[in-house]
Amino acid sequence: MSEQRAFSFACGGQWLYGVASVPAEPHQRGVLIVVGGPQYRAGSHRQFTLLARSLAAQGIAAMRFDYRGMGDSEGTLRNFEAVDDDLRAAIDTFMVQVPQLREVVLWGLCDAASAVSLYAAGDERVTGLALLNPWVRTDSGAAQATLKHYYRARLFDKSLWKKLFSGRFNARAAVRSFTGLLGSARQAPAAGALPDRMHDRLGRFTGRVLVMLSGADLTAQEFDGLPRASPKWSALMAAPRITRKMLPRADHTCSRREWKDQVALWTAEWLRSW
Amino acid sequence: MTPRHPSAEPFFLPTDAGTRFCLYHAPRATVRGALVYLHPFADEMNKSRRMAAMQARALSAQGIAVLQIDLHGCGDSDGEFADARWDQWKRDVEHACRWLHQRAGVQPGLWGLRLGALLALEYARSAAVKPAQLLLWQPVMQGAAFLTQFLRLRVAGAMLDDSVPATGTRELRAALASGEVLEVAGYELAPQLAAAIDAADGTALPPCPVIWIEVVAAPDRPLPPAASRIAATWGQQVSLHGAAGPAFWSTQEIEDHPELVALTCSLMEQRHE
Repeated sequence: MSEQRAFSFACGGQWLYGVASVPAEPHQRGVLIVVGGPQYRAGSHRQFTLLARSLAAQGIAAMRFDYRGMGDSEGTLRNFEAVDDDLRAAIDTFMVQVPQLREVVLWGLCDAASAVSLYAAGDERVTGLALLNPWVRTDSGAAQATLKHYYRARLFDKSLWKKLFSGRFNARAAVRSFTGLLGSARQAPAAGALPDRMHDRLGRFTGRVLVMLSGADLTAQEFDGLPRASPKWSALMAAPRITRKMLPRADHTCSRREWKDQVALWTAEWLRSW
Repeated sequence: MTPRHPSAEPFFLPTDAGTRFCLYHAPRATVRGALVYLHPFADEMNKSRRMAAMQARALSAQGIAVLQIDLHGCGDSDGEFADARWDQWKRDVEHACRWLHQRAGVQPGLWGLRLGALLALEYARSAAVKPAQLLLWQPVMQGAAFLTQFLRLRVAGAMLDDSVPATGTRELRAALASGEVLEVAGYELAPQLAAAIDAADGTALPPCPVIWIEVVAAPDRPLPPAASRIAATWGQQVSLHGAAGPAFWSTQEIEDHPELVALTCSLMEQRHE
């Protein structure tokens, strides 16, 4: 039986709030679930509450929290690239709350996956990263992903055309956005853009990385397109310390029970495999 | 760096069916009142969490104790959403009121957003101990209309996913009526909870004073006619106001509505003068 603990902790002169799910005999490796996008620590459709409980039921302590400006925590709204201090304070607190912990895996969805990728190499307590649909948005990458996975798949799809002609979509706007995408897709991303910085930081990180991607999500498709567009990403993703999993039909937040359960299962299996 | 002000107090409150996550904002001035906060439904709770916390902090600074509670199967509380029931939520409200009364030493009122406001209205009418007052933010008055809107999320999802057959809310209601649990926008909705929401009606006269605030798109917009009509039948019991700003419980990104926080504080201040 696992125990739920609620606590506050300080960061930058403000109070943050967190909850840990702690099994009776926790594994020495714990999971800090980091929230991305417009959500707080429970996650969209309570995904992170359920993930933490599922991990705790399998002997793995899991903590969730709101960084400054989100959910219950104090402070002004902030960008995912400005949360390093929050992550460090949360890891400090997690290790105090669960003294059996020797190391921490950071788990993030969307821009939180990017935030933890940028952070991990600077903290030796972090030995693993679990990334669900990491956010590497650039204009050209987004356009390429949209063209490849949305338009190409649907151009020959009867139901799309039926919807277009039945007036459910504005056909003229659709054509305009399509030609706009072609333009963006041909531009190279600027140097120092998010994918470059993520590559640099993930390259310095020596721990294990689990990448989980949803098939029906443009954010995931854009990340998945990186190795094809760049040899350095291709080399990084081929490293044996990186494990890649695909959920072919899932959406961005894995909104169905079967997808949530699959993600929790992969996370727990991977955590125990090294 | 440790903050100079005290932290709110997070804890798990024992109830007749598991524990509920609570966040207690103790009054930071002489205690003048107390409110239990009831969150809205499904992802509206997620989107409005920051506004609820900001308002709770602002009220506690003026001497009003606030207890935020996550209802059964919601947020950090015990249970699955599929196990959530309207009657259990009412018992959760009672547990929260009892705890807050004991802790703050004054009879608490209820503050609810959207479906949380409807729960507050229904609870107030049947409670053994009447709440001291109600603070309603954008209350849902007819549960049936709200349920239809929620089911539309699934209808819209099916339109975008060609592998799922098209359905309407009527078919979805029939499935619920036959006892099926429906997955809507990632939430497993039980037929019992859907039926209770369907039947919930907030329009009867509440047994205590009410502050009712509607969020409107612009300062010169009139209040929704339905709200004015219901409030008119409540007479002296209610004061109805508009606050211009974003519909923060349903916006794509997290949005602040500072005018709503300021208006709520000033209306609560007047009431507790």
